[in-house]
This record gives sequence, C-alpha cells and structure tokens, in this order.
Amino acid sequence: MEEDDREPIRVLLADGQSLFREAMRVVLETQPDFHVVGEAADGMQAVAEAERTRPDVALIDVHLPNGDGIRATSMIAERVPGCRILVLCEHEDERTLISSLEAGAIGFVTKGSPIGELIETTRRVHQGETTIPLQMLGALLARLISRKREHDDAIRRLGRLTRREKEVLALLAQGADNAGIAQPLVISPETARTHVQNVLGKLGMHSRLEAVAFVVQNSLLDELAGVSA
Amino acid sequence: MTEARTVRQARPARNPQVWLRQAGSESVVYDPGRESVHVMNATAVAIWVLCDGDTAPAEMIEAICQLSGLPYDVVLEDVSRILDEFEDAGIISWSD
Repeated sequence: MEEDDREPIRVLLADGQSLFREAMRVVLETQPDFHVVGEAADGMQAVAEAERTRPDVALIDVHLPNGDGIRATSMIAERVPGCRILVLCEHEDERTLISSLEAGAIGFVTKGSPIGELIETTRRVHQGETTIPLQMLGALLARLISRKREHDDAIRRLGRLTRREKEVLALLAQGADNAGIAQPLVISPETARTHVQNVLGKLGMHSRLEAVAFVVQNSLLDELAGVSA
Repeated sequence: MTEARTVRQARPARNPQVWLRQAGSESVVYDPGRESVHVMNATAVAIWVLCDGDTAPAEMIEAICQLSGLPYDVVLEDVSRILDEFEDAGIISWSD
C-alpha cells in the first residue's frame, strides 16, 4: 500500500469552551491528514498562537472572549497571511457571516453542523475554497451587489471633482488640515480651504469628517492615490 | 458549433404569486397559478432571491464570480441557464 506522504493540515483551534476544543482536537486527530498545532481560549491568545505556530488553517469561534473572533480573524489574516481562517458560529447569521468574510475568513460554518461536514469544510478551506452555508448564499450575494453599487456610485460622485480637488480630498482623508493640505500642493491655506469647501459642495457633504468617512467606507484611497501619483 | 451566451440587459423579477418554502436542505417553489412545484438547489435559490426586478444578470454574475473565484464564462453559463429555466417555468418575468 502506498503511503500518503503529503504534509498534514496544521490546525489551530480557538474556542472559549475547553470541552469543545478538546472534542475537536480528538476528532481531528483521528483523521490522518490533520495535526492540531495549537489551541486558544480567547481572541488575543488565538492571535499569539497563530503567530507562534503558523497553522495552515485556524478554526475561530466568533464569540471568543477577550477580543472577539472577528477581531482575532482580522489580526491573524494580517499577521499570518498563509493561514486560512474558518469561522465557527452558533447560528446562521448574515451580519456575522459578512463581518467574518470582510475580516479575512474564507469559510463559515455553524456549530450545529455534523462533525463530518466540519471536517470536510476544513479541508476545503485549506484548499483555498470559499465555503459558506448554501442557505446564506442569496443574502450574501445581495449584499455584495449592494456594496458594488455603492462603490460605483461613489466613483461617479468622485468624477465630479477636478484633479486638484481629488488631491485635496486624498490629503483630507489622511487627516490633513488646511495647512497640511496647502504645504504639499504648494498653495496657500486659504486656497486649500476654498478647495475643501468646493469638494464638500460637489459631494453634497456638510463636514470634513463626512468626506473622510466617504473615502474610507467606499475604499477610495487607491483611486485617489492614482491621482497624485 | 455552440453559440456564446450573452448577458440580458433586462432585470428578472419573481412572479409575486409564487412562494418559496425551505425545509432543511430542500427548497421548493410553488406556483399556485399553474399549480406547479419546482424543487431548487442552493444555487438556484440564491439566484431566485436575487430576482427582485432591480438586479441585472450581469450583477449576479459578477457577485458570484467574486465570491466563488469561478471563471466568468462558467458563471455566465450557469446563471443564464437557471434564469432560462425560471422563465420557461413562468416563475419570473423580465423588466427593462
């Protein structure tokens, strides 16, 4: 018989309940292709363990104490880029699903799923497949479409600005005041102030804060960076 | 030779008389007007949910590509086929 010489999937388990972690460890280690390399009982510990063990897959409970599962997911995705994250949740919840995916998870499964499904989902996540409960697909797609429309609308509104006004908006989004805008653009603070007022007027906004939120929420920093490049 | 699919510009809308019932992993659409029942898989249900009269097929395809990472042509074929089946069954209509 040929031996399977593939490396086992290195798994980190993060769940606030030791009984669940222990059960998952026992179940996963009955599978020849899994090796549990670490456990964590809270969010910060999950991040630390992920950095220490560099797992292939992290199973993260969404309701971890001390830094919730979404925050831990976001930090692990940033600090351990090779680690694929599967979020576990008590129930199917659209907001949690979307938050998980936005934080960097590529899989989402409920704790009520049969254990065989959880094992298979972990394998698929390791392969890089996006896995979510099929019943939630429609709502998720609707949300993606809505986001795309909002982004397209923001790009259209950005199109009302002149090149100079886009440069001003980019600096505004980075927290610059009138003097901070004026200096790199080699204009006076008064001229900077006028540009800011024009930007706000064209975007239909009432405050600098609103303009900054518009840029950040619609992920427009890259668009604006292209203007000043 | 197979003909390449094109994306319809019109927007599909669910027939308001038709209702969806989900029981476990099974989803069924019932059309009381025709007294017909259609069993749907999860992908068909997801597309059914998006048939709100406001979402264009191109938007559905783009979102599914983004989520699944599948090639555009594959998703275009699947979405178009499912919408054709909905239309043949009389459970959607198209509006410009």
